[in-house]
This record gives sequence, C-alpha cells and structure tokens, in this order.
Amino acid sequence: MPTVVLMDVSLSMTRPVSLDGIEEFQRKNLAVHGLNMLFEHMASNYRLEFTSLMAFSSLWELLVPFTRDYNALQEALSNLEDYDKTCVEAALNGVSNVVQQEWGSACPCQLQMTDAMDNLEELLRLSGGDGQIFTMEGPLCMKSVQTMFGKLIDLVYSPFHAVLHCGNLSSDVQVFPRPEPVVMDEEVEPMPRTVSTDLEIVGFIEIADIASPPVISRHLVLPIAVNKDVDEVGTGTTDELEEEPSASQMAGKSPNFCVLLHGSLKVEGMVALVQLGPEWYGMLYSQADSKKKSNLMMSLFDPGPEPLPWLGKISHLGPISEAADNPYGEDDSKSPFPVQPQVKRSYAQNVTVWIKASGLQTDVQKILRNARKLPDKTQTFYKELNRLRKAALAFGFWELLKGVADLLERECTMLPDSAHPDAAFQLSHAAQQLKLASTGDSQYAAFDHNIVPMHTDFSS
Amino acid sequence: MKMFSVAHKTVFVVDHCPYMAESSRQQVECDVLTKSRAQGVIPLAPVSKSLWTCAVECSMEYCRILYDIYPKDKLVNYIVSDSEFHILNSWRREDQSTHELMSALAAVGPPNPREDPECCSILHGLVAAVESLCKITELQHEKRIALMDTAERVANRGRIICLTNAKSDTHVRMLEDCIQETIIEQNKLAAGSDRLMAIQQCELVLVHIYPQGEDTLVSDRPKKEISPLLTSEVHSVRAGRHLATKLNILVQQHFDLASTTITNIPMKEEQHANTSANYDVELLHHRDAHLEFFKSGDLHMAGTSTRENGLKETVTLKWCTPRTNSIELHYCTGAYRISPTDVNSRPSSCLTNFLLNGKLDSSQFLPAERAKAQLERHTRYWPMIISQTTIFNMQAVVPLANLIVKETLTDEDVLTCQKTVYNLVDMERKNDPLPISTVGSRGKGPKRDEQYRIMWNELETLVKTHAGATDRHQRVLDCIIACRSKPPEEEDRKKRGRKREEREDRTEKNGNKETDDKSWQDSERLKGLMDKDEQESEVIKDSPDSPEPLNKKPRLTSEEIQPPERSKGPVSLLTMWSNRITAVNSRKHQEFFGRASSVNNKFELYQHLKDENGMDVHENGKATR
Repeated sequence: MPTVVLMDVSLSMTRPVSLDGIEEFQRKNLAVHGLNMLFEHMASNYRLEFTSLMAFSSLWELLVPFTRDYNALQEALSNLEDYDKTCVEAALNGVSNVVQQEWGSACPCQLQMTDAMDNLEELLRLSGGDGQIFTMEGPLCMKSVQTMFGKLIDLVYSPFHAVLHCGNLSSDVQVFPRPEPVVMDEEVEPMPRTVSTDLEIVGFIEIADIASPPVISRHLVLPIAVNKDVDEVGTGTTDELEEEPSASQMAGKSPNFCVLLHGSLKVEGMVALVQLGPEWYGMLYSQADSKKKSNLMMSLFDPGPEPLPWLGKISHLGPISEAADNPYGEDDSKSPFPVQPQVKRSYAQNVTVWIKASGLQTDVQKILRNARKLPDKTQTFYKELNRLRKAALAFGFWELLKGVADLLERECTMLPDSAHPDAAFQLSHAAQQLKLASTGDSQYAAFDHNIVPMHTDFSS
Repeated sequence: MKMFSVAHKTVFVVDHCPYMAESSRQQVECDVLTKSRAQGVIPLAPVSKSLWTCAVECSMEYCRILYDIYPKDKLVNYIVSDSEFHILNSWRREDQSTHELMSALAAVGPPNPREDPECCSILHGLVAAVESLCKITELQHEKRIALMDTAERVANRGRIICLTNAKSDTHVRMLEDCIQETIIEQNKLAAGSDRLMAIQQCELVLVHIYPQGEDTLVSDRPKKEISPLLTSEVHSVRAGRHLATKLNILVQQHFDLASTTITNIPMKEEQHANTSANYDVELLHHRDAHLEFFKSGDLHMAGTSTRENGLKETVTLKWCTPRTNSIELHYCTGAYRISPTDVNSRPSSCLTNFLLNGKLDSSQFLPAERAKAQLERHTRYWPMIISQTTIFNMQAVVPLANLIVKETLTDEDVLTCQKTVYNLVDMERKNDPLPISTVGSRGKGPKRDEQYRIMWNELETLVKTHAGATDRHQRVLDCIIACRSKPPEEEDRKKRGRKREEREDRTEKNGNKETDDKSWQDSERLKGLMDKDEQESEVIKDSPDSPEPLNKKPRLTSEEIQPPERSKGPVSLLTMWSNRITAVNSRKHQEFFGRASSVNNKFELYQHLKDENGMDVHENGKATR
C-alpha cells in the first residue's frame, strides 16, 4: 500500500517550541525529525513501500513522486521552505490527483500529515472510517515525536514475517505489503481477523479451476534469512573484509522452499491453496512481472469456509489420488469444478414466470405448436403442458387451465383430414385433464402429478 | 450487510381471503393467432389474473431473485391467511426454494370466493409471522453455539412483507398496532425459551393491492417508526405489472442489489438461424459490484439510465466475447452472483446457458485434512535440488516412489515395490550407469559402485521415513535392506554384534548408516560428502563458479576398500562368508604399502621404474641406431 506524506509547510509550522529554555525548535523541525525517523525505518525494514512527499499550504506541490529511494525523500525534507496558510482541501485534491495518476482508483493508500487540526476526525469519518489519527502525548519535544512515530511504525510499517509450510518443507518469508486485519461482521465478529504467521499450504489446484477468483488483497512473498540478527541487506563492506558471509548470503546459497514452490507453480500452471487462519484461505501463485521476471505472490480470499462458490467448501477438497475415480477423468478430459449447487439457480432450471404477458403467450404458443405436430411431438407436447399446468396450479390461475383446455379442443376440431388419428385422442385427453385440474379436485390438481399421454394403439 | 440484519429473515404474509379472488382486471391475450390461421377462427377470450395470482407470482419472483443471489442464509417463511393461517415452509435451509413454495401454494389453491368474509382476516397471518420471527434459524443456532459466552451478539431481526387488500388507512393502523402488541407478547415468551429469540427489530412492509381501474382506499406512506421494535411502510399498488415492478424495487432495496444491463450481445435469431441480432439482458446483483465505478467517478461514462419510476438505475456494459485463456490468472477484486430480471426471456436464457456452458459433472470431495496429511507424507523426504538426488532422477524408482508415500499399501503394492528393488539389484549387477550428477565434480564423478551405494542410501532414507506407517511399508524397507549391497564394514559390524560405543565411534570416524534419528539432510546427503574425505560443501560444489576440488588424498582406512564383486548385487552365502573372513583377516596384518597409499583404490606399481626405464628406452633406442 503506497504512502503519501503530506507535509504542512504553512507559517504555523514555524511556531517555536520552547524546551525549558535550553534549545528552540520550530514545529517544522519536530515534524522533519519524525519523518526522518520514519524514512530511516522504511529504508531498512520496509524498503518495498512506495512513498511520495507532498508539501502544502494554500497551494500544494509534489516534492518527491512515488519512490523507494528514501535518500531522495530525506533530501527533500531538508530543503523545505515556508509558505502562507494551511488549506487542507486543496491539498487533499492534490493527493487524489497524484494517487490516481500513479495507481488508479482501486488502490488503497496511506496518508500522512503533520500538523495538528481539529477537523481531522471528521475527515477520517468522511473517508470511510479506515484510518487513524496519531497525536503527541505530553509536551511538544523530540522525545514525544519519536514516541508518536514509533507507534505509527509499529502499527503500519512493521514488516510481516511468517513461516510458509508445506508438509515437512518450510521457509521463512516476508509478506509485503503486510496483510491488514479484516472485520467480517461488525456485530457477530467485531474482532478483526489477522493473518496467521504460520501459512500452511493445504493443496494445489489448476489455474483453470480456480479461475481468476476475487481477492481482498495481493502480496509479494519473499524468502528471508533465518538469522534475523544479521543485517538482511548485507552491506558491501563485509565482503571486502572477507568476514563470515551474512545470513542473507547464506540463505541465497542454500536451497529454499519458496524457490522450489515458485518454480513448480509456474511450470505446472497451478496455484497453491494456503490456509491463513481458522476458516480463512488464500492462494500462492507465480505472477509475471515482465517476460523475464516473475514473483511468488499470495492473494487473500474473503474469510470464510467457502470463499469461492465454484470450489465448494475448501475443507471438502482433497487429493485426487484419494477419490474413487479421478475427478479429472483418466484422460484429463473433465473437471470437478465448478461445483454444482444443491439447488439450481432459477436461470439454470426451466422456471415459469408470467409477469410479462409475453412469457405466458410464449408458453401457450409452445404447447399449440407441438399440438399441431402430434403424435410426433407427443413427449414435448406433454412436457410443456405439464410445465404450464404446474405453474397455473401454484399461482392459483385456474382460469388459464380452462382457457388452454378450450384452445386444445379447438385445435382438435381444426385438425386436417390427413392428421394422424392419435392427434385427436391426445388433444381431447389433454384438454379433459386440464379441465379436471382446474376444478381444484385434489385427485387431479396435485402439484407433483403429471398428465401422461393417453395410451392408444395406433402403432404402425 | 450484517449477518443478522433484518434481511436474514423475511416473512411473506399473503392475503387468501375471498376478495383476493377478484380479478386484477389486467387482461392477457394468450391466444395469439398467426395470420395464416386467422380466418374463421374465433380467438379465445383473454384471461385475467386474480389479485391472488398477481400477489403469488410477484412474491415468487421476489424469492427467485433472492435465492439466486443469496442461496444461503437469507431466509423466507411464507404464510397465507384466510380464516386461519397456513405456514407453507419453515426457516430450515432445505425448505428454501421456489419449488418448495410453489408446491405448497398449489396445495393451498386460489381463495374460495364463497367463504364467509367475516371469518377471514390477514391478522391471523400477521400474528403467525411475528411468532415465526421469534423462531431461531439454523444459522442463528450455529452462531450462538460457536460464540459461546458472547452468544448475545447473535441478533434477531426480521422483515414482514404483507400482500393484502386493506380497507382503509385506519385498517392499516389497526394492523400495525396489532403487530406491535404481538411482538411484545412474543418477546416475553421468547425470554424463557431456548428455541425462541426475542425480536430486536421488525420491519413491516405492507403492500396494498387493488384492481386496475379502481381508486385506492389506502395511501402510500414512507417508513416510519411505530416503536423502537417496529417500523412500518405502506405501498399502495395496482395489481399486475405495477405490483411486479414494486416488488422488484423492494427486493433490490431489501438486499442491497443493483442492476447492470449487458448490451449488444450477439445472438442467433430463432427464426433465421444464419442471422444474428444484438440483444440486451438486464441482471441484478449485489450493489458492491458497482463500487469501483463509483470510486473512479466513471459511472456516467459506463452509462446509466433511469427506469420508469425514477428510483433505480441500471449500469450498461457492452458485451465482449470472452477470449478464454484458462491458464492465466487475472486480478479480480470481486465476483458477484447474478439473477436475470427477465429470467425466461430468450436473450436471458441464451446468455445464462452460454455462461453455464453445460458443465454438469459433480463429484465427491474429500476433507482437506487428508490433503494436508498427504502433503506431509509426500514431503518427508524431498530433495530440493535436482542434482542432489539420484533416485528421483531414475525412471526405475518411480513405481516405488509413487507407492511408498501412500497411507496404506496393498499386497500388490508391496510386490510392485519389491519388483522395483529387484530391478535395481539387476541394474547394479549389470553395472548400468546411474544419473548421478557430475556437475562441478570435475572428472567422472564417483565410481560406479560408489554411485550405487549413494543410490541405495537415498532409497533407504526415503523408505525409512514411511516404514513406520504400516507393516507393508516396513516390508518394503526390509526388502531393500536385504537386497542392497553394503560396504564391508557394515557386514562386519552386523556379525560382530552392534555395540553402542563402537557405533558412536564409527559415526565419528566415517559417518555410518545407523543414523536413523537424524534427518535426511544431515545423514544421507552430508554423509556422502564426509565419505569423500570431507570435501567442501556440496552446494558450492554444484555451482559453476565453485573452487577446484581439494587434492585427492590417499585413503588410509581399510574399510573404504571394496572388493569388486561387492558391488554386484545379491551375493551368495559363500561370498559373504569369504568377504567377512577377508575383512577380518585384513585387520590382522599390517596394511600393504600400496593399498595404504593408494589413490581411489589404485596404486601405480613400479613407480621407481618410470624414471630409470624412461632413460633406458631412450638410450636403447639410440644404441640400436
């Protein structure tokens, strides 16, 4: 999640902060000090974060566009100038522009500002409630600034480390950006769900079967050195001095499960289903950055036992080898997915809706069309007839049953001489049955009863 | 939407009193005569639906959309009311389908116009509806049990949709008061019961239905609070398509739905199969599907149009024939269930049939716990670098490797494994080459018998991790141990009995095989390295930039020397015996100088002659001339 630092450079920020007469700082200096602390932290622990620096007074200015170059950000901080008055509305518009240009509208963004204002809470509420205001506790001094930024760092910029497990194989990983907690139902489950630091692969599935599923967030999964005491970045000096290789260098040389997993997923065209916590799943997959480079990524599904309806409950999935018959067929010609729902959706069954007159007319015409092709279309004729009969009974539309019976009788009288004798028998039989149903007599008007073709003996 | 918002429970109360049998006066022409047949035929008189039929079909349409988009846990309880109430289904999940409801409605039939109107009232149904809202649903029950001491977080709210023909505004007020009283009564009852829950919030939606061409006796009224427990709104609607539109709007409001119209869908014409025309299909879905449009402010660009009533809008999207590339993962922020507004129109069914695409296989599934167990079994021994494994590079090992990871083995499986082992023994006897990596080892790599030793060790490690599973797994391990060739020192040890101190001693000395308690990493793989006079780490050795291998030192330990026949598979008792004797005897005399200072078991004889003879030959040659 990219970060925008929006720095107030109005005159109010130049107000002095008296520190028992020892030294004098401006508010601006405190802010710069805190931001430097933040940038230093990010440079060493959260390097992948893109950050941009904007300054505002009554106007706004983009000082540093989104970058991972924290030196550039610090450099810009040291060259701040003072301007007139605070005007946050214009600045927020500016943020909106900058963010949309770089990231599009679908990207959540962290926003940092460094001036005290009364209406910040209202602003937070308007923006959808996802945010937090950090204020300084105690007097305005370097120490409280450090405490405040320390809190911010812990809450938002501490790297997320986890162990990725697959049976007996495992790897220490960093998940970037850190997965944020998710509130499922503010009432039943008000506590946010957090991603476990033990990520367990539960199985593998074809990309075609998981079919570009909806996800709540996407993250890079990066293997990390196990020995966290050693500087993970590994500076050049250690090499020159020919000291013991750093942990990350060692890690680079020993086989790592992440590498195996990434390569395998890429080659096989599959994703790994990973359990993130109780009844919470995600997927690991290879995502191509460019033609040459690809990354191991993890996407989080909505928490719940059945995040993707077409897979059914994740806990009901199992290894192919344990199925009685290979669900993909011996020749890989079929797939068990999508899982069919127990009750078919209305559009997957032949439902009857007569809200529009055309719906009713179509259904009646279908019966008449088949009636004229009796006895060839006997099966279709009765199928359509029974469908209409069922709906008419459910809707209490007995008048329609009588009407259609009349129509069938009329068809009977209009049969050409060349017609098969069976046609007349079937038409009058069907008409009679509809009439009986329209009386509501339980013997003939039962919903599950079907009118069956009259048994005739014209077999020739 | 909260899990237990008012949308969790919806009670339909539909009036079944005699006046509902009245005609809606909206006529439907169902005898559409084609021109060719029109002569001399008197068309059938148009039919018209009763108020009851209108109410039932519109409520069914409401349920159809609801069930399509929320197949689970948005529940409907259907009640009809005449001289008494009839509850047509329950809150249970298995009762939640339009088919169930249609079947029950068919049993009820249309209202009986001859019934005494004085005995009939919608009130019976409304009281039953309140009682029903107090009944706990499966989801409420499950969540209460799961939450244990915070079970009070499970709320009980619900909505009553009453389709009736009210007499007046006063009549409506009377109905509201009556519901309010019933809620209070029922809540008292619920307090003392496990299977009932007090109602925390009830939303009454009263839809007054009157025939076309009549004036309404009841006025529309927006939602107002009757009490903290009850809100009420009144919709006065003409039967027929107005009622259908109204309920369509209500289902959207009640379940946070929105509308999208897919335009320009190419479709084959019914009459002329070779032509195609473009159609539009309107779909309903959760309104979150439009969230991204709103965020980007692009909604007007996507195109919205206002419907007749001005309340609901539809977002229009242009159809794109999908290029199916199933091997690519695309970023997707949301997927939503849909329901076509006009489900059985031809364009709708063409679209949904295209999307459903006839995938109708169903198959049984197995619990994920078994998948995890399988992953555990498969990864017990899993070399991560291809050049560090021999057996997984060998086609001949595949049958065994595939079987041994199974949870249980059949006798046939054991036989297959044994055959695999015998086959390997055979390969060893024939001195077949093994795919042992020679990358970085400069030269030919280990000798053939050494290669087989590495292979057998690896195979044994693999099978050992599974031997504990069943007796049959153990039998496979036994077979390998019995058949494989072993270095002589191991034979010795076996015959001399395994003394603990000695074993430890040997482990230190040359890394022997009895290290079952160590993982494969430190036992098998590293042992290979230690055997090679503790060369540099194998990881480095595999890298193309690795340093030169260390100088080969002569092996000093007699254990390393294997008689050539040792590597050739199963041996006769005689050979085993004589080997043992040879090995034992070899310790009893001083080692030959040549063997002690050999390189790779080789010692060049008559080295001193090299220099002298070389000179001689030269001289001789000269002499002959």
